[in-house]
Amino acid sequence: MEKPLELSRYCVPFTPFGKTLEESLICLVTTAAVRAKTDTPFNVEGDNTFRKIDGSLTTADLAYDDAHYDHACVDRDLNCVFPVDRLAALAREGRIAGMTAEHFSMGYSQALRELRETTIPQLARAVSAARPDAVVLTGG
Amino acid sequence: MVTVQRSIEMLGIPTVLITVEPEETAQARPPRALYPRGFVAGHSLGRPNDEALQKWILMDALSLLRDPARPGEVIRRDYT
Repeated sequence: MEKPLELSRYCVPFTPFGKTLEESLICLVTTAAVRAKTDTPFNVEGDNTFRKIDGSLTTADLAYDDAHYDHACVDRDLNCVFPVDRLAALAREGRIAGMTAEHFSMGYSQALRELRETTIPQLARAVSAARPDAVVLTGG
Repeated sequence: MVTVQRSIEMLGIPTVLITVEPEETAQARPPRALYPRGFVAGHSLGRPNDEALQKWILMDALSLLRDPARPGEVIRRDYT
């Protein structure tokens, strides 16, 4: 039995977008260590877990745990890395259909092998289970 | 970050990344990526409480979903 083929890093996976934005549910995924204020904080020194963020929350309900990117923007407005209020506004204006019931955030980690083999596959499956029509990703 | 994006895309979900590290992102070959030129980590959507700018960048990112495919490329735009 041969090992399954792996996607070359020179190959780009691509899923066509067949809908209009106006009929699409959008999901946010960030690596900026964002979470609900009521949820368990990330370990800023390294954390291979991810958090689900209820899609009904606004930035007023959210916090971040980070020691690696500049906080001048996020300390005043978390939309700088996690634009959930802006997506909600686009939904109210009818420019997107809405947001998924959950968004997702990872924290800071250098444990690359565990990220690749465990955290990221789990996160991708959780994102898929939220049934978004498209995903917007942001870094820190 | 692009590893996360590529993994989601592989499950059949279209994705777009707003990046502030264009060289690193391009090397990792993203399905779709937007670099707001000059923005740095912690400032992906620009300035705090600038709703118009943040929505503009979001709509540009979402519009890449409908644009002709340029897989692996990072689209650079100015927002000043």
